[in-house]
Amino acid sequence: MNDIIVRTENLIKTYNTGKVKIFALRGINLEIPRGSFSCIIGPSGHGKSTLMHLIGGLDKPTEGSVFIDGLDITGLSNSGLSELRAKRIGFVFQFFNLLQNLTSEENVETAMMFSKTPEKTQKEKAKELLSLVGLSDKFNAKPSELSGGQQQRIAIARALANDPEMLLMDEPTGNLDSESETEVLSQIFKLHKRGKTIIIVTHNSEIARKAEIVCKIKDGRVDK
Amino acid sequence: MNIPKLVIKNITRKKGRFVFTLLGITIGIASFVTLLSLGGGLKNEVKKQASELGANLIVTPKGWCAYEQISVLTGEQLPEAIPFDEVKKISAIKGLTAVPYLTERTAIKNNPVPVIGILYEEMKAFKGWEIEKGDYLSSQDEKAVIVGSGIAQQFKLNPMDMLTIRGEGFHVKGILKETGSKDDIAIFMPLSAAQKLYGVGDKVSFIAVKVDDISKTDEYILKIQETSNVAVVSDKQLLKSVLSIVGTVSITLQLIAAVAILAAAFGIINTMMTAISERRREIGILQAIGAKQRTIFGIFLLESGFYGILGGFIGVAGGLVFSSLSAPYISQNEFTAFLKGSDLAAALDLRLVIGSILFSFFVSIVSGLYPAWKASRLTPVEAISYE
Ligand SMILES: Nc1ncnc2c1ncn2[C@@H]1O[C@H](COP(=O)(O)OP(=O)(O)OP(=O)(O)O)[C@@H](O)[C@H]1O
Ligand SMILES: [Mg+2]
Repeated sequence: MNDIIVRTENLIKTYNTGKVKIFALRGINLEIPRGSFSCIIGPSGHGKSTLMHLIGGLDKPTEGSVFIDGLDITGLSNSGLSELRAKRIGFVFQFFNLLQNLTSEENVETAMMFSKTPEKTQKEKAKELLSLVGLSDKFNAKPSELSGGQQQRIAIARALANDPEMLLMDEPTGNLDSESETEVLSQIFKLHKRGKTIIIVTHNSEIARKAEIVCKIKDGRVDK
Repeated sequence: MNIPKLVIKNITRKKGRFVFTLLGITIGIASFVTLLSLGGGLKNEVKKQASELGANLIVTPKGWCAYEQISVLTGEQLPEAIPFDEVKKISAIKGLTAVPYLTERTAIKNNPVPVIGILYEEMKAFKGWEIEKGDYLSSQDEKAVIVGSGIAQQFKLNPMDMLTIRGEGFHVKGILKETGSKDDIAIFMPLSAAQKLYGVGDKVSFIAVKVDDISKTDEYILKIQETSNVAVVSDKQLLKSVLSIVGTVSITLQLIAAVAILAAAFGIINTMMTAISERRREIGILQAIGAKQRTIFGIFLLESGFYGILGGFIGVAGGLVFSSLSAPYISQNEFTAFLKGSDLAAALDLRLVIGSILFSFFVSIVSGLYPAWKASRLTPVEAISYE
């Protein structure tokens, strides 16, 4: 099997907002090895989130390709992309990751519902994952009853629900105080040790120092 | 977690909005069921009364309209316009029996009750009445009445009781055995006594005619019209014209219900559009964790369908309760007077119940199509970036 799990080829993304054409990405070439811990840094508004969305199949590039395990996902249909997201990728965003009316357990279960996991397995696995992120006492809590750090840990548990090889995190600690940030980061490092490929967008220099690959995005390009 | 569970959790999030939207469709369906079951009851009752009239032909004054023809069946008060001479002329025709009716009204304890002047002997033979209690009428001029079983029961009347009709005392001579027809809810008195009491000279309201040979009904119609200056309709024609009026009335009522349901449908659309715009971010999350477009579509379609199913059940139940409660009140109206004492349950058939629930579901699904389509067309990034 190929050692490169994600490869991008001359990735270009433009947005047409009325008269102005915005170049969010101007040709990104990247290779991410399987099981690596990669960090994407760069100034605000320079295309980091856009890149994550394209890698995760949440959006389609204007030009270029994204290969996951050698498969060009830009050729996939919408439902093919959904399946890819359900089974092979776990997302964690900066804000409001959770469905507000569901308990933490139900939030994790919902991700498994989309991969057609039987309900009984969903329950067991959700409990297991919530324990893994240290929230075994919060199964029945709604997001509004939890701290920001706890909510992000639930989002991580949910991202793991379908056992994806790859976790994409867009500033998962960007909204947290330093104590909660430490909590969440320790979970992320733990996952890396368990063999997950992790791609994380962050402004945190500690993460950047520990990362195996650091990729700086500036003005829609990789700044080496 | 499964989709239905997720849908129910979503729908009950905004309790107030849920209740008001549900009320809309519930009220629409309830009014639909009420009007349909009243309309159905009306039709059955018209048919029943027409067959219980026991006549093949009805002789009326010329120029009566359908409204007055309905009153023949309901036992409402009618103008008296046929002189008794005509009754005699028609009776003289061979092969038929003619019984005149003078239908008037009185009130017992403020309840309107029909008073019908009859030729008591002919009428008894014509209808095959039997006496439950007391005696039958025995003279054209006696100040006595016979009452139907329903009236006797309602006002606790017994033979030898006195009734005041138009300020004059009449004694109750006998009580009829239950017939199941509107005869149960009328008071009968000798024709000449009724004519005197209501000051109508020697006139009657209409004449019911039974012919010996039904196959020659058309010939009798011609014969009666030759002998006398009156209008004649057969029971079938009468039934047809009355039913067509009842039909028009119930179609009008159903149109009103349809408007109520249409308004409810827009209520659902509005609620769904609001919910979708509030939940854009969550739709994005669902997509990010692997929901397909058609799954999103299904989730929102089910959510609006849920209003229809629930509203359908509550609305049907409410409609049935309301129609049985309201039947006695609206029966004061001539058009709906048939419902008096009628067995409403007969009209509330299973077809109406299931049909209405399915209809409600259908309406809510159709209302949900556009919002659900909108939701499924959101791109994940659009939904996630939404603040
Ligand atoms: N849907 C959109 N329509 C138009 N322009 C967009 C859209 N999404 C992003 N952009 C633009 O693309 C550029 C890159 O945005 P992106 O969100 O990727 O930046 P970022 O590096 O993630 O910034 P931050 O660190 O603030 O999150 C920005 O100039 C942004 O305004
Ligand atoms: Mg960003």
